[in-house]
Amino acid sequence: MSRYLGDDWVLPALTPRNTPYFTAGSIQIQFCRECGHAQHPPDDVCYACQGAKLEFRAMPGTGRVESAVVVHHAVHPALATRVPYVVAIVSVDGAPGCSVQGNVVGCAPEAVAIGQKLRAVFEEATDPATGTRLRIPQWERVPGA
Amino acid sequence: MQGRAVVVGVGESVYYKHGGSPDSEFQLACTAIRNAAADAGLELSQLDGLISYMDHRNSPLRLAAALGFDELRWSATPWAGGGNNSSAALQFADAAVCGGYANYVVAFRALAQGQFQRLGSGAGLLAGAAPEGLSWGLPYGLMTPAQECALQTKRWMHDHGVSQEALASISLACYANAQRNPRAVRHGKPLTREAYHASRWIVEPFHLYDCCMENDGAAALIVTTPERARDLRGKPVPILATAQGLGPDIGLPSFQPRWFPGMYYENVGRTIWQRAGVRPGDIDVLQLYENFTGPVLMALCEIGFCKPEEVEAFVGGGALEGPDARLPFNTSGGNIAEAYIHGLEMVIEAVRQLRGESTCQAREVELSLAVGGPGYAPGSAVLFGPAA
Repeated sequence: MSRYLGDDWVLPALTPRNTPYFTAGSIQIQFCRECGHAQHPPDDVCYACQGAKLEFRAMPGTGRVESAVVVHHAVHPALATRVPYVVAIVSVDGAPGCSVQGNVVGCAPEAVAIGQKLRAVFEEATDPATGTRLRIPQWERVPGA
Repeated sequence: MQGRAVVVGVGESVYYKHGGSPDSEFQLACTAIRNAAADAGLELSQLDGLISYMDHRNSPLRLAAALGFDELRWSATPWAGGGNNSSAALQFADAAVCGGYANYVVAFRALAQGQFQRLGSGAGLLAGAAPEGLSWGLPYGLMTPAQECALQTKRWMHDHGVSQEALASISLACYANAQRNPRAVRHGKPLTREAYHASRWIVEPFHLYDCCMENDGAAALIVTTPERARDLRGKPVPILATAQGLGPDIGLPSFQPRWFPGMYYENVGRTIWQRAGVRPGDIDVLQLYENFTGPVLMALCEIGFCKPEEVEAFVGGGALEGPDARLPFNTSGGNIAEAYIHGLEMVIEAVRQLRGESTCQAREVELSLAVGGPGYAPGSAVLFGPAA
């Protein structure tokens, strides 16, 4: 699918800590192999036990709207034709205590409300620096939920 | 701490609209510091400490040379964020003076947003791909403090049944108070509740008037010991307590559920009350940094002035407006209507209230609190008290 804010909008610069999230085509959350703690964004140390044996795991790809706001002011000229758009904080099923940021696509911005069930979808792009195929997580409302 | 350091001078440049300053940002910084030294009755050569926050352009080394310090003995800047550290700058000055590391320490902030990037602009973020720290939000168009604070505010309003009218009351109080203050950029431009509601959305639930201005200007305060202050012209205002910090696991700007929604002010409030031995109800006048109106409401509750379910009544019905308000609040007009000098102009206003020199002077002020910017860690606060 093409990108919610346009295919020319800013892409993430890939690093070892964010590459799984932006390339796997699933919702990747970092877990501690020692104590099982889940954390986001990923870091080099487990915030629960300070261990360094961390791994990424694929989540089921569903979540819930914790907050969502409609952006009207275009901060950058490239967004002038994209406003109004919605940004949301989404708690990730399967990863206790973890929320991610994203857009809710496929509906009017004002139709997004706290508590709604969501499922992940993925925007496709190519990282210009490395040629790596990106699959950028986004969310859409679950019909009937 | 506990009155062992005092503010002995305050100074400002003219406050301009964004892009309106004929002087460079460095000239503005020098002007504010010169005015603070003159207010105190100090020679510039006597100053020996410099503290700012989120200021990478006007370094203490350049300022000490340009202003003719005999020596620079203390310089510091807090970690992270921006206006959240407006009161932390006073904590650093307090520590330097109480520790004997310097005699006359300047806390300053200079901003010329017409000459440099506006803080609320995302434009500087867009030169190429989003670096890791920004990668979680920027590709989704989530990049500005207004958007981040809106997400916090929206959920908090939802959880506690807070209405748009409560947000409006914060902005209206700032505008009403600014009409008494000739320094205020919005002096002579009163705001009505109707005009507030009619103003354009920036990001819901923030209208234009829920957001602070962007300005050019500079502000400075000078801190010393009560003993040194006795020989000076300026009326000393004691620092009773300061606080800076964050609670567990909340330093990451990533909206994690353990603390979402939250403004980082519970522990700052607790520290202030413990160190000073006073309670929120004892405060005579309050300056609370408004980056946006919603975070002000949240911080009021986290610090302990009221509960979320009480906030509508606490701020409504003009309860914050004017010198005779139930709680005189942002009496200069604050970031929304005086000037956005990253909140340091509000710390000066807290001092002015104890000197009896505010244009919106509260009665019988003994405890004057200035709280830094909510929503970004670490939070900070400084409590001033009466001269001994």
